[in-house]
Amino acid sequence: MDVLNYPQVEETLYREVLDNGLEIIVLPKPGFQKTYATFATKYGSIDNHFAVGDESPIKVPDGIAHFLEHKMFEEPDGHDIFATFSKQGAAANAYTSFDRTVYLFSATEKIDENLMTLINFVQRPHFTEQNVEKEKGIIAQEINMYNDNADWRVYYGLFEALFQKHPIAVDIAGTVESIYQIDKDLLYRCYNTFYHPSNMLLFVVGGVDAEHIIELVKQNQAQKSFAPLGEIKRFFEEEPRQIREQRKVKQLSVSLPKCMLGFKEPEVTKQGEELLRQEVTSKLMLDIMFGSSSSFYQSLYDQQLIFDSFGHEYNCSEQYAFSVIGGDTPDPDALIAEVRNYVENTLQAGIDPERFERVKRKKIGNYLRMLNSPEAIATEFTRYRFRNCDMFNVLKYYQECTLEDVNARLKEHFDFDQLAVSIVVSPEK
Amino acid sequence: MEFQVGTVKNLTIHVLPTNRFKTYAMTLFAGTPLSEETVTSTALIPYVLRRGTSQFPETIQLREQLDIMYGAGFGFNIVKRGNTQFIQLRMDVINDRFVDSEHSLLEGALRYMGDVLTNPLLEQGSFRTAYVEAEKGTLKKQLESIINDKIQYAAERCVQEMCEQEPYRLNASGRLEDIPQITAEALYKRYTQWMSEAQFDLYVVGDTTLEQVTELVSQHFKLPDQAEPIAYSQADAHHPVSSVKTVVDRLDVNQGKLNLGLRMNVSYADDDYVAALVYNGILGSYPHSKLFVNVREKESLAYYCSSRYDAHKGILTIQSGIEFSNYEKALQIIEQQLEEMKKGTISDTELEQTKAMLTNAMREMLDSANDIAGFDFNKQFSKVDRSIPAMIEQISQITKQDVQRIAAAVELDTIYFLRDRQEV
Repeated sequence: MDVLNYPQVEETLYREVLDNGLEIIVLPKPGFQKTYATFATKYGSIDNHFAVGDESPIKVPDGIAHFLEHKMFEEPDGHDIFATFSKQGAAANAYTSFDRTVYLFSATEKIDENLMTLINFVQRPHFTEQNVEKEKGIIAQEINMYNDNADWRVYYGLFEALFQKHPIAVDIAGTVESIYQIDKDLLYRCYNTFYHPSNMLLFVVGGVDAEHIIELVKQNQAQKSFAPLGEIKRFFEEEPRQIREQRKVKQLSVSLPKCMLGFKEPEVTKQGEELLRQEVTSKLMLDIMFGSSSSFYQSLYDQQLIFDSFGHEYNCSEQYAFSVIGGDTPDPDALIAEVRNYVENTLQAGIDPERFERVKRKKIGNYLRMLNSPEAIATEFTRYRFRNCDMFNVLKYYQECTLEDVNARLKEHFDFDQLAVSIVVSPEK
Repeated sequence: MEFQVGTVKNLTIHVLPTNRFKTYAMTLFAGTPLSEETVTSTALIPYVLRRGTSQFPETIQLREQLDIMYGAGFGFNIVKRGNTQFIQLRMDVINDRFVDSEHSLLEGALRYMGDVLTNPLLEQGSFRTAYVEAEKGTLKKQLESIINDKIQYAAERCVQEMCEQEPYRLNASGRLEDIPQITAEALYKRYTQWMSEAQFDLYVVGDTTLEQVTELVSQHFKLPDQAEPIAYSQADAHHPVSSVKTVVDRLDVNQGKLNLGLRMNVSYADDDYVAALVYNGILGSYPHSKLFVNVREKESLAYYCSSRYDAHKGILTIQSGIEFSNYEKALQIIEQQLEEMKKGTISDTELEQTKAMLTNAMREMLDSANDIAGFDFNKQFSKVDRSIPAMIEQISQITKQDVQRIAAAVELDTIYFLRDRQEV
């Protein structure tokens, strides 16, 4: 068992990797009532073309990782695992993102039982033709629900405009058509590939004893046998540096148009900690430029071109990286022109040093406030771990970030050839 | 888990000294009666207050203060509980021990909140016109945007129709039609009236004491000397239904939203409150509940189908997203579940699962500074003494007969359906 101390944030992590490859992380939070546990596989919506070892590659229907997540909750005896968690007083849930699927519970009692329930149900698939068919109606309604959600549509519109080949532009839940191609054999193929312990991470945070938890999991895993898994190969068509299209417009009844701008990084060369550093620098840069205490934000707000929904984010992985800037606006073209103009001016003038210091402080504070939430720690730690970085280094990278770093990032990131825009407007009557 | 209580003029201070969190969490509850005449102008107050103070007249200056305090969180929300409209101001700031700040961050945060609330920017004895006009625009966009989220829109429309004759029909953020008439002068007048009439409760959870907070509040909040707070009135949670109302709205949507509004006839202050929580849990607030199991798992009609109990108003709402053509079928299954509750068709497992889930939710509250404050405030607001351990004990005592007694009083009031524009 490794003990990792982070005195600056007053946290200690306990880590163990079992013989079958499963990684366990425990973060004791003395005095907390609640224990929160996540059991995650590095498998998400983008992993739709893969092979293990020497087997021949397979392309699977869109939305299958999410479909699989839904089906895990059904037990071999036909029971729903939610019922077991409920009996043990645990609130359970799961979600699928681009690059991972996460099963979780929070509970204040029967922690050992709940933890065993979590591990056991995720390691006990039960797919039948009948139960797979039944799920299609439910997921079709989930897809329809997202189709009516304008925020979701404008977001996906941007991915579609930015990316030519990469499956990030495909809805996590797939489409009503694609999910009807899913059957039990395909589900087992995905399951057997990605749910091997060596592709998974268990994170437990709360009022627990680390040694006890690790011992418990060790015993549980010792009773199960997993054939060694060859190397998982994920295939992605090479993503061209160019965006797919400059402007994507969708129609949905909305009170105001929604408009998002995205700058795609032409190349993604960084990995691990270097990627994390790039993320930190980029987020700092965007907040300096577009945050609600910036003069740009205030000027657009005064013109009633933006409202409280205006925001920004930076997403990166080993395969894609891009910024997102935007929100609701009465005039998408005016907003786009303002952003372009402002980016050009900032490229000329560089970042204001005082503002840099203030926003850096803000980011450090926000990071420390995040550590109050066990849920956020578990989520973020897992997300970063799957990208081979350590979430607890974020603080250090913010502290080390210099004005020169941000100015360099600025020049590197903003390239108008890499700009795409996504808009949602109401249908014309 | 007892709050220490003190007062400064018309503001009640509640402090929970604890070193369990990395932050200081502060919530100010300000409540006034929910009424047509004042709902919109009251809602506009926090929008304008956040724009500038007499010390920091420009919005950028004011927001920079938050950045300097290591990204202190500041926000407000506007909600309704029963007959009361609440403006809540929230702040949280990290404990100084994690950073080398030259000034106390707790003091900085309380000064910020005090300035924003009680020391706004004034020009010629009123709010700055430009701020009022801009924020009128923001509030208008906010109200108009409800339609963007069809789940929220349907929920709101259902309650609006159901409570047509009660103040609760009003959206806590006000009415669009009132906005154009609001002037800077009229709003400032409403603000001074609100400062006098509202009940103010400030909660602070973190590594501090009542004495320290009291001193900081006395120093940084310019509260009125002669306030006349209006006592909270409890909503009438007992409301007979004469006939079931059915409403259909049509919009360009891909999915139908079926929402039901019911009268529980039990409120937060009633002895039967805990039994009503159990009723709601068995019916629809968990994945083991009747609605989820029957509408989703057995019939595959919906991705979500759940119930929510609004105890301050004594109503229960059911919400689901379905195919347009499944309206009759889904409604029939939902009504069937309500009927089963009345008949007492409740298994021991359903009862035990629900109790375990409610007990867990109670305990989990203790880990969240905001939940701890919210729980305590509900007691103050409803004038009823509850504690988390006592409620856990009461939950364990609830029987099937108790739940059936609740079910007997539940009445369906309104059926609301949001669907597409195609004629059937």
